[in-house]
Amino acid sequence: MIKFQNPLLVIIILITSAVSAQDFKFGKVSKEELQEEVHPIDSSAAAAVLYRKRSVHFKYVLNQGFNVHINVHERVKIYNQSGFKHATVIESLYKNGGDKENLSELKAFTYNLEGGAIKKQKLDKSGVFTTEASKNRSEKKFTLPNIKVGSVIEYQYKIVSPFFYSIDELVLQYDIPINSQKISIAVPEYFSFKPNVKGYLAVDPKYKTEFGTLKVATGKSLSGGVTSTKELRYSINVTNYDSKSIPALKEESHVNTMENYRSAVKYELKYTQYPESIRKDYTTTWEDVIKKIYDSKYFGDQLKISKYYKDDLEALVGASNGNKELMSAIFSFVQKRMTWNSINGYSTDKGVKEAYKEKSGNIADINLMLTSMLQKAGLDANPILVSTRNNGVPLFPTREGFNYVVASVQMDGETVLLDASNKYTKPNLLPTRALNWYGKLIKKDGAFSTVNLLPKKVSKENYSMSISLSENGDIEGKCRTTYSDYDAYMFRNNNASTEEEDYLEKLENKNAGMEISEYAVKNKMTIGKPIMESFAFNLESQADVIGGKIYFSPLFHMALTENPFKLEERQYPIDFTYPRQERYVMNIVLPEGYEVASKPEDVNMVLADNLGGFKYKIVENDKSLQVMVDFKINQAVISSLYYADLKELFKNAVEKQTEKVVLSKITSDGTSESSEGGR
Amino acid sequence: MRLLFLLISLFLCFTGIAQETEYQSLILDKSLTDNANAVVRLDEMKINLLATNKMLYEVRQVVTVLNKEGNSYATNRVAYDNERKIKSLDVFVYDKFGKELDHIKKKDFKDVSAADGFSLYTDDRLLVNRYTPTSYPYTISFNYTVETSDTGFFPPWYFLSNYKVSVEKSYYSISYANEQLKPEIKELNLASIEVSKKDEAGKIVYEAENIQAIKSESLGPAFRDVVPRLRVRLKKFNLKGEEAQVNDWKDMGVWMKNTLLKNRAILDDATIAKAKNLVAGVDDDLEKAKIIYKYVQDNTRYISVQIGIGGWKPISAIDVDRVKYGDCKGLSNYTYALLKAVGVQSYYTVIHAGNRQVDFDPDFAALQGNHAILAIPYNDTYYWIDCTSQVNPFGFVGNFTDNRKALVVKPEGGEIIKTVAYINEDNYQFTKALYSLNPSGSITGNANITTKGIQYDNRFKLERNTEDDVLKHYKSYWSNINNLKVGNYSFENDRDNVVFTETVDLSATNYASISGNRILFTVNTFNNNGYVPHRYRNRKLPFEIQRGFLDEDEFTIQLPDGYEIEAMPTEKTIDTDFGTYKVSFEKNSQTNSVVYKRKLLIKKGVYPKEKYAAYRDFRKQTARADDAQVVLVKK
Repeated sequence: MIKFQNPLLVIIILITSAVSAQDFKFGKVSKEELQEEVHPIDSSAAAAVLYRKRSVHFKYVLNQGFNVHINVHERVKIYNQSGFKHATVIESLYKNGGDKENLSELKAFTYNLEGGAIKKQKLDKSGVFTTEASKNRSEKKFTLPNIKVGSVIEYQYKIVSPFFYSIDELVLQYDIPINSQKISIAVPEYFSFKPNVKGYLAVDPKYKTEFGTLKVATGKSLSGGVTSTKELRYSINVTNYDSKSIPALKEESHVNTMENYRSAVKYELKYTQYPESIRKDYTTTWEDVIKKIYDSKYFGDQLKISKYYKDDLEALVGASNGNKELMSAIFSFVQKRMTWNSINGYSTDKGVKEAYKEKSGNIADINLMLTSMLQKAGLDANPILVSTRNNGVPLFPTREGFNYVVASVQMDGETVLLDASNKYTKPNLLPTRALNWYGKLIKKDGAFSTVNLLPKKVSKENYSMSISLSENGDIEGKCRTTYSDYDAYMFRNNNASTEEEDYLEKLENKNAGMEISEYAVKNKMTIGKPIMESFAFNLESQADVIGGKIYFSPLFHMALTENPFKLEERQYPIDFTYPRQERYVMNIVLPEGYEVASKPEDVNMVLADNLGGFKYKIVENDKSLQVMVDFKINQAVISSLYYADLKELFKNAVEKQTEKVVLSKITSDGTSESSEGGR
Repeated sequence: MRLLFLLISLFLCFTGIAQETEYQSLILDKSLTDNANAVVRLDEMKINLLATNKMLYEVRQVVTVLNKEGNSYATNRVAYDNERKIKSLDVFVYDKFGKELDHIKKKDFKDVSAADGFSLYTDDRLLVNRYTPTSYPYTISFNYTVETSDTGFFPPWYFLSNYKVSVEKSYYSISYANEQLKPEIKELNLASIEVSKKDEAGKIVYEAENIQAIKSESLGPAFRDVVPRLRVRLKKFNLKGEEAQVNDWKDMGVWMKNTLLKNRAILDDATIAKAKNLVAGVDDDLEKAKIIYKYVQDNTRYISVQIGIGGWKPISAIDVDRVKYGDCKGLSNYTYALLKAVGVQSYYTVIHAGNRQVDFDPDFAALQGNHAILAIPYNDTYYWIDCTSQVNPFGFVGNFTDNRKALVVKPEGGEIIKTVAYINEDNYQFTKALYSLNPSGSITGNANITTKGIQYDNRFKLERNTEDDVLKHYKSYWSNINNLKVGNYSFENDRDNVVFTETVDLSATNYASISGNRILFTVNTFNNNGYVPHRYRNRKLPFEIQRGFLDEDEFTIQLPDGYEIEAMPTEKTIDTDFGTYKVSFEKNSQTNSVVYKRKLLIKKGVYPKEKYAAYRDFRKQTARADDAQVVLVKK
């Protein structure tokens, strides 16, 4: 069993630095702050947050109930021109029907040092903009005046939100360093929230209790006006996330989305309990989240409707032998019939019935329809909630954590995953967008289980080539390539609608501009079978002819010449999307009159825990060489703990693949100058 | 009543049937489907010009999409703003038999902000609809009518809208209310198609049929330079409420001066005094201009906000002075005002910016361009400055606005003038390096790179990069050196002469490969240019090298003790129409080293397609020669 190192484990210990006592009261920007030229810890920082405060609290409004107030205060230092973009601030505000979040009390200033004196300039109205981004989102933007290298900007504003049941994630880490931050959330006793922490930074919450009072109506007139009130004293649970010296979140390659690694706290509402009222539950546990989703008319109910496909399903059932065949038949039917409209979601858009009629729909329309048909046909089929790669990993039970759904069937003790939204998927091969750690499988009774979505089957690319090398370094020969599973899936997605002529041009240019003839392809569109390509080719100058000797690397233009891993260190897991293997078998006929003077040695490198390996074997026969190369990555996602090993594996693979065979002329007496070679 | 109803329904039936037969896509002419992702069955625009500030146009575009690559036609969008109103809008979708699948009405469209990706704010908006095709081919018919008071940007006509799309029928007509409104039309690239043209009283019509698709090719000309199209302009037009009478570029300049730029360059006394103070003691206008430009670069930043005529009119200098930001127009106008304050003449210049050089047509004065810069006349020449850049040296515009005809707004009127050109040897790079090779195959040494012209443009921003980004740059620039480790590095940016110098210490393990007693290594370590142009089975378009460049290299390689050279490549010179390549290898037995010298000149030019293979061959040879190896053997 391969053990995953949990990438989201908190492993970084906060570095506390000696930050001198600074005044973070609004407007108290100091000369020292303006004079600072580089960030004391991260010299590469283009800007840094000197201080940031975000306090979330609840305010009671008579006859309206509680609103959420968020007070924001930030002081930002600009070190260089790349940091200018931090002088523009964008807040996204949610709205729904008549309810909307409101930004108010915006105050912002730019501070500069001019002739030794601090000069401040106010943001005026011309620098504030509101854009209606979509039906549910508007954006408030402002950009500060008079920004220079060295400027300090400071702003504060308030957001009032009626959406107490959905509090925005409290972000604890930015793309620039934060020197000091005070994040707090104060929740009245009537609300129970569950904080969920993510990211690589350690957080150290401090708790305290405060008290507040509010006026509630005790009497109302017939028209609804308040006639009498009483005062209520209640307790407030305050949590403070104060921290210092928070490093910038820095991008790395081979990562699904950096947002998975940004430190943040998400407050999820468990329930509300107002005085003299009954408790109202909101989602908290996976059970609750899943039940809520399942009970929705856009999810569970969609599974129950079956009339619309009845006749088509009967035909499929009648024509299939056994469950496996039936599953495949239903899957292909939905896959062929339906076209995805590029919209994700676990809630249906048009509804399965309408989608079926129109032959297009969102992910839920298609995959819930598929699940329903599979169930109706008597298979043990269930939907699985998924979060796409771009959406991040759902670490905590929230409905927003998911944005996708696939189907599954229990068969022979195995969970078969199905997604009919792409034309080239097959059972147990999901589109790459859905390959994101774990999904939640929901049974009809509402019970659920966690399913690993990462593919375990290795996708293969096999190259088999017979090549003859000429004395001047040109090669010609035949190539046979097979692509299986995800490699075939990718091939089909990329080339399905490409005309052959265009494809060949692409293939030729991918292969160092070789000339291709006799091209044939098998199973190009037969999903489930590996694609087999074959062609004849010729390619110039693939060997160096120097001083009567011929030098070449036996993978020729196919050799991997560059190590994709260049960073010295890495913090985050390496995401290969799916396990993969590349194999090359090359039969090289040597030019007449030459023999092998030297050749690379065989190697066999294996990564720890069977995570992958690289094998290289070269055999000399009479007038020919046979080279076998096998490069494997056995796991879709590899922990960063193995980064150094992985980088070393690639380094060795590059070196081996670029190493040369040396041929020398056979002298007239039939011996060569070298005694190497031969068996 | 009843009769009317009947008539309408009959009519609907009738049109329904007509469409079914008209837009089937089972049988299409092969000459139209070749190389095409979509066939435009009908591309029709009927313009009705009623006054200089009133124009209606009716668009009908019926497209049969053949495969998913053609799906951009499934997304339909129309822009609108305060002047431009969408009067009617709908979309019909037909299956391959021509049967109606869907009818999308105006209310089904999404109303979104026309975010351009770089503006903080714009008040332009779009109505958008995206249809999800369920099978191919399908046909989508997009119909809308727009009424606008803007006639300054007259809708031009493209007989082909894109690469890989053919057109069955193209129809463009302009009806104009009176002779004074008659537009002027310039035909471009029409030779490749057959066009029928009618020019009668009050109406101009262009029609063409069966236009075959074209494919884009690398190094090919810009689409706009090959596509058959019409450029259209009105001599009298209206732009966001501003009337204009423009016969030529001179008039256009006068109009801009008097409307868009009028009263925009006023500064308050304090700022004028400050500007004067900056140049105190300096007499030379060019020196003054340099000081002012530097001041603008150090004190402003680029922020784009487009409201109303803001797309054309700069925000006033006084506003820019207050907030210290602006877009290209605002910053150019602000710099103009500051220069004026210190007695230096400069001209506001409208240009088409981008890596691809696009000229303003000297004979056809129509509103165009996407950027503003300044021209400063000095000693019979012009210095060009881009005020949106905080880093460019004075007078250096790089590949963003080089070598193209632009509209220079002078007090006496507009004039078309070509900007500064960077050609061939101007774009120079010299790499001098010294490294030693060890018996283990590793190398250590240093390289010194000097760049000028466009090559300077590609490099000088390194100076401002973080260490991480600099290391990333070298690892990708020298991707031919595996296991590269960059040590100390330093940069020198000579802004006055526009020369950038990089000095880099580096090392790499396993650079050379060891094969028994032999060590093999590629001599060209630091400027290995593996570029080979894309191979075409059948090249259709001419090709262009826009700017050209010259690289020179000199590397000294210290060989490991105990080894001698067994084989070394020979000197080589390749001379072609496209440039020259020259390498030499010089052995010094005394110091046990090799001196490698290389020169690669690629010349600017436009070449016919027949020469493409020869160019590719040349670059294949140079790429190959750059990989030449030296073989050492143990003594």
